[in-house]
Amino acid sequence: MNKDLKIVSFKGGVHPPKDGKILSKKTAIQTAPLLERYQVIVSQNIGAPPAPVVKAGDEVKKGQLIAEAAGFVSVPLHAPTSGKIEGLIDIPGPMGVPAQAIAILADGKDEWAELAPPIDWRGADAETLKKRILECGIVGMGGAAFPSHVKLSPPPDKKIDYMIINGAECEPYLTADHRVMLEEPEKVLAGAAILGRAAGVKNVVIAVEINKVDAINAMMEKAAEFGVGIVGMKVQYPQGAEKQLIYAVTRRKVPTGALPADVGCIVQNAGTAAAVADAVRSGIPLIERVTTITGEPVVTPGNWRLRLGTPISAALTFCGGVKYEPSKLILGGPMMGFAQRSIEVTVMKNTSGILLLKKSEITQYESNPCIRCGRCIKACPMNLQPTVLSQLTEAGKFEETLKYNVMDCIECGACAFTCPAQIPLVQHIRRAKAEIRNRSKKR
Amino acid sequence: MTQEAMLNMLELTVGAMLVYNFVLARFLGICPFLGVSRKLDTALGMSAAVIVVMTLSSAITAVIYNLALKKTFLIDGKEINLGFLQVLIYIAVIAALVQMVEVLLQKFSPPLYKALGIFLPLITTNCAVLGAVMLNSVNDRGILESTIFSFFSALGFGLALVLFSSLRERLELATVPRPFQGMAIALITAGILAMAFVGFSGLC
Amino acid sequence: MLLTIILSILALSGLGIILGLAIGFVSKFFGVATDPKVDLVLELLPGVNCGGCGRPGCADFARALVAGEASPEQCPVSSQEAVTQIAQLLGMTVGDLEKKVAVVLCGGDIHQTKVKTLYNGVNDCISAMQIAGGPKSCAYGCLGMSSCARACPFGAIEMINGLAVVHNELCVGCGVCVDTCPRDLIKLVPAEAKVHIYCSSPEKAAVKMKVCNVPCIACRKCVKSGEEGQFEIKGFRVEVNYDNFPGEDIVEKSGCPKNCLLTTAQHLEIERNADKEENAV
Repeated sequence: MNKDLKIVSFKGGVHPPKDGKILSKKTAIQTAPLLERYQVIVSQNIGAPPAPVVKAGDEVKKGQLIAEAAGFVSVPLHAPTSGKIEGLIDIPGPMGVPAQAIAILADGKDEWAELAPPIDWRGADAETLKKRILECGIVGMGGAAFPSHVKLSPPPDKKIDYMIINGAECEPYLTADHRVMLEEPEKVLAGAAILGRAAGVKNVVIAVEINKVDAINAMMEKAAEFGVGIVGMKVQYPQGAEKQLIYAVTRRKVPTGALPADVGCIVQNAGTAAAVADAVRSGIPLIERVTTITGEPVVTPGNWRLRLGTPISAALTFCGGVKYEPSKLILGGPMMGFAQRSIEVTVMKNTSGILLLKKSEITQYESNPCIRCGRCIKACPMNLQPTVLSQLTEAGKFEETLKYNVMDCIECGACAFTCPAQIPLVQHIRRAKAEIRNRSKKR
Repeated sequence: MTQEAMLNMLELTVGAMLVYNFVLARFLGICPFLGVSRKLDTALGMSAAVIVVMTLSSAITAVIYNLALKKTFLIDGKEINLGFLQVLIYIAVIAALVQMVEVLLQKFSPPLYKALGIFLPLITTNCAVLGAVMLNSVNDRGILESTIFSFFSALGFGLALVLFSSLRERLELATVPRPFQGMAIALITAGILAMAFVGFSGLC
Repeated sequence: MLLTIILSILALSGLGIILGLAIGFVSKFFGVATDPKVDLVLELLPGVNCGGCGRPGCADFARALVAGEASPEQCPVSSQEAVTQIAQLLGMTVGDLEKKVAVVLCGGDIHQTKVKTLYNGVNDCISAMQIAGGPKSCAYGCLGMSSCARACPFGAIEMINGLAVVHNELCVGCGVCVDTCPRDLIKLVPAEAKVHIYCSSPEKAAVKMKVCNVPCIACRKCVKSGEEGQFEIKGFRVEVNYDNFPGEDIVEKSGCPKNCLLTTAQHLEIERNADKEENAV
């Protein structure tokens, strides 16, 4: 490792001992074969879902617009392949309730629609770049799915001076961003530089955890060319959480209830940076992404380039299926991902991982009493007291949780991970947060 | 200051507050101690009320004791000492003071008045206040000494109350076994707290 | 001896006069006038502090009543008698109270529905809803984790076979359960309305029948056998019109094919006997 590499971190957090990344971190990205049918979920981003502009029977080409942005905080949706629109259907959604999806029957030809012309980003102005990022449907691919063009347009009174590219990938098992940075470093660097230009920011930094030395080295070769800096980070969860990342890199603290823009920073995921590079330099809209399909029950875990609308059941067949019946299917990582009720959910722009867990890997929650060990308080990256919050919730004292800053919780799960009594701390805190949001709505 | 005077001062202040804590060492005033200590805010309010009542009543009763009840009057050749009226007079003074504090509290802090509820007039019959006053006269203290002693005793009372209410707030969230829930665990905690305060003995 | 007595009397009287004057002085200048009516009203109120009137406690409600900001019928717990007495005291007129009770409009106990996924977490309906919409196969049915039963200040809700059932005789209509249920299954209805359709799912009949044995499939048999306006058709389900509700004989008359049109007594009996029947989906 380059001895000039600065290594930073935040306070607190946990370090899952077996982080499961060994299953897929040495596996190169493979491109998924073309399927017969894709069911693209319409509502994939934070903000307003796009409005479909196609109907049953329409012929579409790959990358063609199938739903247009509805409002400022919204992004368009594009077809993952060429074929015929079957119609708008309801499929199982990632949050357990049915989600509306556009079903496309592939014609097998996989023909591109006419793409927007490449932009010479070094000479382009910020507005042109942001417009292209919006038109190509780019959202935060690390999991939040926040429209990127909105993030790049903070209110004018906030002066931004840092663009931080999140290459932490602190969740166990996930290696998608790692492989993207390792195999396409030039793309990630270009994307970082483009994002910096779009936000009008001079300091562009890619922050990577030091368990990805090969990716760091790959990017360091060309970093100077793009005017991008590389910073190493200690391997700790949740290193990739926005506020922790900002503190680690810039030593600035985001105040309670404030946003990163308030301390002059914008954070974007490394996968998003790669997608931005494709969008700006080649006009390619966001129709596929690299996802880690992993877990002990999977026959051949790996990193796959999957198109939007790929059912999880199909994705698992690419990996050779499962060795035995898994106990849990998670979209995302094991700390903050979402457990699924159905394998017919389809891949979305923010599906960073498809994780299968076996029975022995799942904690059975019991309501054991708290032994006041304080491990959760030590682990909390936001300096909260999860034990007090959970006790107040169990006693029904929701108003008092406000005194202990419950709304600051980023729900990273570090506290629940370390709790020796296996108390479902995050669930209690989420309950308290829901109650407080309800009460302020009622008023 | 002579060594004796210093020791005396120490006994009046630190001694009254910690070593001979009214609640935890002398076990006076248990009623408000257990009744008002569910929340820290009410405990603080009650402590403030008791400090005011105890100090003022001590001052007034010390004056009455030193100037009237202690002295033996010579009237018509007979020696008259009204010392036996102590308790009556002290209680009357304390009751009057509590009444006034009640009215003032209702005017200036209605939420605290409501929160303290019945325990405010109970300061009257509270053996802590009467105890402080009686201790002053039993030990034949001067006016200034009495006031200082009572003030620090009240501070000690307040300290015990604040400590205990903080503990009780935490206890409310804890998973206490059924037979111990409520008053039982509170009393056990009070006992342990009293044991902790025994650590101060030997200070003076 | 006599002198001592006289002196004592003088001393005590003197002290009494001084103290009395002092108290009177303080009361006069710092006294706060309280309306004695507030205490009288407070005595007439039930004193449960359930919050059904929309205020944090009975004391607050009493104050609001005396100040004319509230009306006695707003207390759902008070009997008609108490309300009339309070009204008389304050010089108000009140109409007749309509007693309301709560009803959980769902018949999906564990024998009639499936639990589709294994839920591994806090035993609370609201918390469960936050995780993929809860473990039950019907996305609109009762989750059975007793959040409403725990919230009820009067212990009127019982969990039978994983389904919340309200006991009418214990329910006073305070409405706390209505706010608690994350699936909005509980409704406050007139106590006289004894017939209910125990299904709240707006899904199509085909979808509902896959996940439950006793859904309302909107076959309209009840609507046809009842009088005009006694039922409301809401999309793919039917609901009793609680402003013009049918009598108990409608159950027999309509012959509901899914057995979801029931009286509260029948519903309770079915749940109690459900273990013996063993209906599996």
